[in-house]
Amino acid sequence: MPFEHTHRLFSHPQALAFFQGKSLAHLNGVDILVIAVYFAIVIFIGFYLKGATHTSEDFFMAGREMTAWIAGLSFVSANLGSLELMGWAGSAYQYGILATHWYWIGAIPAMLFLGIVMMPFYYISKTHSVPGYLHLRYGDGARALSAVSFAFMTVLMSGINMYSMAIVMKVVLGWNLNFSIWVSSITVALYVALGGLRSAIFNEVLQFLLIWLGALLVPILGLIEVGGWSNLRQQILTNLGRSDYVHLWSTLGHFHDNPMGIHWTGIVFGLGLVISFGYWTTDFLVVQRVLSAHNLRAARMAPIIGAGFKMAVPFIVILPGLLALSVLPFHLVGETQAVATGQHSYNEVLPLMLVRYCSPGLLGLGVTALIAGFMSGMAGNVSAFSTVWTYDIYGAFLNKKATDQHYVAMGRWCTFIGVLISVGTAYLVQHAASIMDYVQALFSFFIAPLFGTVILGMLWKRATKAAGFWGLLSGTLTAIGLWAWVHNDPSALRYVALSTDAKTMAEDMYRALWSWLVCVIVTVVVSLMTKPKPEAELEGLVYGASKIPEERDANWYQKPIVWAGVIAVLFVILNVIFW
Amino acid sequence: MRESMSIWFFAGVLFLIYGVIITATGFWELANPPAHPPILFNLHPSIWWGGMMAIAGLIYTIRFWPRVRR
Repeated sequence: MPFEHTHRLFSHPQALAFFQGKSLAHLNGVDILVIAVYFAIVIFIGFYLKGATHTSEDFFMAGREMTAWIAGLSFVSANLGSLELMGWAGSAYQYGILATHWYWIGAIPAMLFLGIVMMPFYYISKTHSVPGYLHLRYGDGARALSAVSFAFMTVLMSGINMYSMAIVMKVVLGWNLNFSIWVSSITVALYVALGGLRSAIFNEVLQFLLIWLGALLVPILGLIEVGGWSNLRQQILTNLGRSDYVHLWSTLGHFHDNPMGIHWTGIVFGLGLVISFGYWTTDFLVVQRVLSAHNLRAARMAPIIGAGFKMAVPFIVILPGLLALSVLPFHLVGETQAVATGQHSYNEVLPLMLVRYCSPGLLGLGVTALIAGFMSGMAGNVSAFSTVWTYDIYGAFLNKKATDQHYVAMGRWCTFIGVLISVGTAYLVQHAASIMDYVQALFSFFIAPLFGTVILGMLWKRATKAAGFWGLLSGTLTAIGLWAWVHNDPSALRYVALSTDAKTMAEDMYRALWSWLVCVIVTVVVSLMTKPKPEAELEGLVYGASKIPEERDANWYQKPIVWAGVIAVLFVILNVIFW
Repeated sequence: MRESMSIWFFAGVLFLIYGVIITATGFWELANPPAHPPILFNLHPSIWWGGMMAIAGLIYTIRFWPRVRR
C-alpha cells in the first residue's frame, strides 16, 4: 500500500494541526531557551572578536591565520545554508537518491582539484578575492565583470536562503515571515560587521557542528523506524512502484529512465565538470574561507578536509528525504501547488521529519540547526559581498587611495547594506516556482563561464587580457541567452538539453556546459589573435611560470595529496555501492 | 592575561549547555510522559543524545579553557 503509515501521523496532534491549517509544532520554554542560547553565543562571538579586528586584512581575510581544520569546516559550512539543507532534502524526496550527485560528483572532485591544483596559485598570488586574481591575470575588464556578477549573484543567493528559512519557520512554528527574516538577518549583520570574516568563520564552524547535532537524529531514528537501509529501499519500491529512486547511476542511460529526466553526460560533464568546478573553485563565497588559512599547506588541506565532511552530508540531507518517501502518510508537492492547495511542499520535508521524531529540547535543537544553516549561508554571502564590493568595485574603481581604516569602515557598512539588499531579494523570490531550479539557473549564468576563464588563466600562459574579458562575457551571455530561449519557447529544450524527455535540472546542466564551452573557445580564439603577456608578469599566477613553494611534511601521511587520495578512493567506493 | 578563546572552547561551552538542558528535559519527560509523544519516544533520544552532547561539551570546555599566559 502506498501510504500504509497514515495512522501514525493521524494519531499525532501535530498531524492534526497540519490538517487544521495551523503550524506543525509549538515550541515550549525549553526549545526557546535552546534557541536563545544560540543567539546569545553568536552575538557574543561578534563582540568578542571585534577587539581583534583592526586592519582590512583582519576584517576581510581573518588575518590569514586560520588552521586547516577551521578553514575546511568553514569552507563546507558557508555552503551548507538553509537552502542546501532543506532544498536538497526536498529534492531527495522529489528525485530520489539522484540528488546525492550534487554532494558527491558535484562537489568532491572539484574540492580536491582546488586543494591540489588551484590553491597554490590563489595563495601565492596573495589575492584577496577571485575577481582580484582575475585582475592580476587579465586586468580590470575581467575583474569588473566578475565582481559585478558575483555581487549580484551573492545577494540573490542570500535572499533565497532567507526565504527558505522564513518559510520553514512559518510552516513549523507559525512564526511571522517578517519576524524570522528580520531577527535572523539583523543578528548576522551584527556579528559579521563587528568581527568581519573571523567572526563569520568562527560562527560557521559552530553552526556546522550544530547542524550535525540537530539534524543527525532524523536519519538515525528514521532508519530505526523503517528497519534499516534494505527495508527502506524495499518500502520505497513498494510505495512508488519504481526502483529508480534508489540508484545513483544505473538509471542514467536515458533521459526518461530516471525521475530527474537527465542523462549521465549531463551529470558527469554539466554538473561534475562545469557547475561543480565552477562553484567550488571560483565562487568567492567558499574560496574566501580557504584564503584565510595561515599557510599554503593549510590552504591546500582545507578543501580536502571539507571534501571529507561534504561526502557525509547526504546522511543528514538526502537520507531524510528518502525516509520521508517511506514514512510520511501524505504526498509532498511543488512550491506552486503547495501555495495554491495548502499542502506541504518538497522543501518542508526536513522540518516535517524533525517534528516527527523530536520532543521538546531536541526540537529546539533541530530548529536551531535550521537557523544555524541559514545564518552560515547568509554570513558567507554577506562577508564575500562586502569583500568583493570593497576591494574589487569600490577600492578598484571608485576610491583607489583611501586609508586602510576607511576600507574597514566601508566593509562594515557594506555588511549592513548587503543584508538589506538580501532582505529585499527574499521578498522578491517568494514568487519563484522552484527555489532549487532558480539557483541552478543562476549558477550557470555566472559560475560556469567564470570557471572557464579562471582555469585557462591558471593553466595556460598564452591566455591574454582581452581573451579573459571576452571569453567571460560571451560565456555569460550564452547562458542568459539559452535560458531566455527556453523560457520563451519551452520546445527549445530539445536543442539545449539534447532530448525532448529532458527536464529542468537537465536543462541547467547542459546550459552550464554550453556556456563554459563558449567561454573556453572564445578565450582560446581571442588569445591566439592577441599579444600575450610577458612570462615575467605571470610569475605566481600561472602554471609553468610560477615556482610553487616546497612543502616539507615530516611524514607521508601529512601530505595533502595522500589525504586527497583517501577521499578520492572513498568517493569511488560510495558511488559503486549505490550504483 | 589569558589566551584568547578558541573556537573549540565556544563549541564545548555550547554543547555542554545544550547537553545539560536536553538531558534534563529527557529525564523530566521520563517522569512526566507527554500526552502525545513523537515517534520512537520510547527510545528516549533526549537522554542519550543530550548525555553525549554534555560529555563531549565538557571535554572540549576543559581541553580548550583559555589558559593564563606565563
